[in-house]
Amino acid sequence: MTLLKATDLKAGYGKVDVLFNGHITVEPGELVGIVGPNGAGKSTFLGAMAGSVRATSGAIELDGQSIVGRKPEDIVRLGLSLVPEGRAIFSDLSVDENLRLGLTGRRLKDGASAALKDVTDLFPVLTTHRDHQAGMLSGGQQQQLAIARALVSEPKVLLLDEPSLGLAPSVIQDVFGVLGRIQESGTAIVVVEQRAHLVMSIAARTLVMREGHVRATLTPDVAWDEEKLAEAYFGTGEDES
Amino acid sequence: MIQTILDALSFGGLYGLAALGIGLVFGVMRLVNFAHGELIAIGAYLLVITVPSLGLLAGIAIAVVGTALLALLMELGVFKRLRSAGPAVLLVASFGVSVFLQRLYEVIFGALPISAQVAPWMNGVIDIGGTTVTRGSIVTIILAMVLLVGMWFFIDRTTLGLQIRAASSDFQTARLLGVRSNRVIGAAFVFSGILAAAVAFVVVTQRGSVDPLFGVNITILALVGTVIGGLGSLQGAALGGFLVGSTISLLNAFLGNYRVYTYTWLFILVIIVLIVRPGGIVASRGTKERV
Repeated sequence: MTLLKATDLKAGYGKVDVLFNGHITVEPGELVGIVGPNGAGKSTFLGAMAGSVRATSGAIELDGQSIVGRKPEDIVRLGLSLVPEGRAIFSDLSVDENLRLGLTGRRLKDGASAALKDVTDLFPVLTTHRDHQAGMLSGGQQQQLAIARALVSEPKVLLLDEPSLGLAPSVIQDVFGVLGRIQESGTAIVVVEQRAHLVMSIAARTLVMREGHVRATLTPDVAWDEEKLAEAYFGTGEDES
Repeated sequence: MIQTILDALSFGGLYGLAALGIGLVFGVMRLVNFAHGELIAIGAYLLVITVPSLGLLAGIAIAVVGTALLALLMELGVFKRLRSAGPAVLLVASFGVSVFLQRLYEVIFGALPISAQVAPWMNGVIDIGGTTVTRGSIVTIILAMVLLVGMWFFIDRTTLGLQIRAASSDFQTARLLGVRSNRVIGAAFVFSGILAAAVAFVVVTQRGSVDPLFGVNITILALVGTVIGGLGSLQGAALGGFLVGSTISLLNAFLGNYRVYTYTWLFILVIIVLIVRPGGIVASRGTKERV
C-alpha cells in the first residue's frame, strides 16, 4: 500500500504559486530523491506536504488519509516529519532540549525514552554533546541533530531538504550513510538535493523538477548518464510534460 | 540610603514583571501588545472592587484569574483571528484593543478614579538595623523575586516552557516538530495576564486608586525596557524592565527638586544604550517569520 501520495499539487506563498504540478508516490521504507535547479519548487513541494507551505489545490494522502490543508503540528503527529533546509535547529537551546522538542510530535505515548536512545545510537556524537548549546555544534553535527530531532517522533516518512547544504564532502558521506540505516528501520525517506549524483545512486526513484513541475522520473541506472541527466534537468527544447 | 536602594530594587522588580509580561507575548508572536496596560488596569479594578468586601486573599485570587482570562480573551477574540496578518496589522489591532478597553472601563467604572485601600499595611514602615524602610518596597522585592524565579522555572524546566522558548526563536520549525501554536500562544497570554495582575497589585497599593488609563504609563516604560533588554529574549525583557524601573527610581532620588527631568535623563540613557547595542543588551537571534 502506498504510504505517501501527492497528486496535482499546487502551492505557494501569498498569492504567488511556486509549485504547479507536484506528484509523488512513496512506498513504506523507500527512499525517493527530488533534484532540480534552484527555484524549481523542491522546497515548496516538501513544505506543502508537511503543512508549512499553503497548498492551493491538489491532494496529499498519508497512509490513505488526506492531509492537505492540515496544520504542520497535526501532520507530524500523523507520521510525516520535515527537516527544513538550513537545518533550523534551535541554536540557543541545548542538544538535549532540541531532541526533547522532537518528542512533541509523537503519535505514540509510550516509548519516548527508547526513541531518544535509538537516535543517539544512530548519532553517537549527540550523546557526547548532550548538554552543549546546539549553536556550538559543527555544521555536520547540526545536520545530524536536525535529522535525529525529526526521528524521535518515529515518523513513517522523513522529508529532508538539502541535507548536504554547506557540509564538507566527508561529512556529507556520514550524513548520507545514516539514511540507509534509517530506511532499514522501516522509515521512508524523501530527499531533496542539489547534488543529483549523490541522491540518485541511493534512491529507488528520483524526480526531476523544473519551474514548479515534476518533469521526469529517473531510475538509479542513469545516475551517471550525463546526457540523460542534462536532458531531464534542462529539457530538450520541447516541453515534454 | 537603604530606602533609596530598596526603592530602586522594588521599582526595578515591578517594571521587570511588566516588561516580562510584554516580552512573553512578543516572543511567541512578535506582537507588541499595547493592550498590556489594560490588563494591568483590569487587575487593579478587580482589586479595588473586591478587596474591601471579600478580603485581600480572595481579591487577589479574583484579580489574577480575571486578568488572565481577559488576556486569553484578547488572544481568542482578536489576535487568533489575525494569525496570517503582518506585524503592522497586529500592532494596530493591539492599539485598537487598548483604546477599546480604556473606553469600556470608562463606561463601566466611570472616567474618574476609584479609590480603595487594598493593602494599607504596605504603606507602613519597618525597622531594619536602625533605619526605617517602607513595607511596600520589601513586599514588592519579594513578590518580584518569587514571580521571576517562578517564571524562570516554568520557562526553563517545564515542557510547555521549552515549547515557548522554541516557538520564540523559530515558530515555523517548532510547529514542524509538533508544537501546537494556539496552545503556546494562549499560554503566553495567560502568563502575561498573571504578571499584569501582580503589577496591578503593587501599583494600586501605592496609588490607592485606579482610572481607565491606569496601566498606560507603566506599559510604555516597560516596553522601553523590553527594547533595551533585547526584543525577543525573555531574560533581556526582564533585565531591561528592571534597569528602566531602577533608573527611574534612582534618578528621582538623586535629582531631588529637579525630578521633572527624570524622564529626560532616562531617555538620554536609553538612546545611549541603543546606540551602543542596537539589538538590545541581550541580543536575540530569533528574528524569523512568525506563524
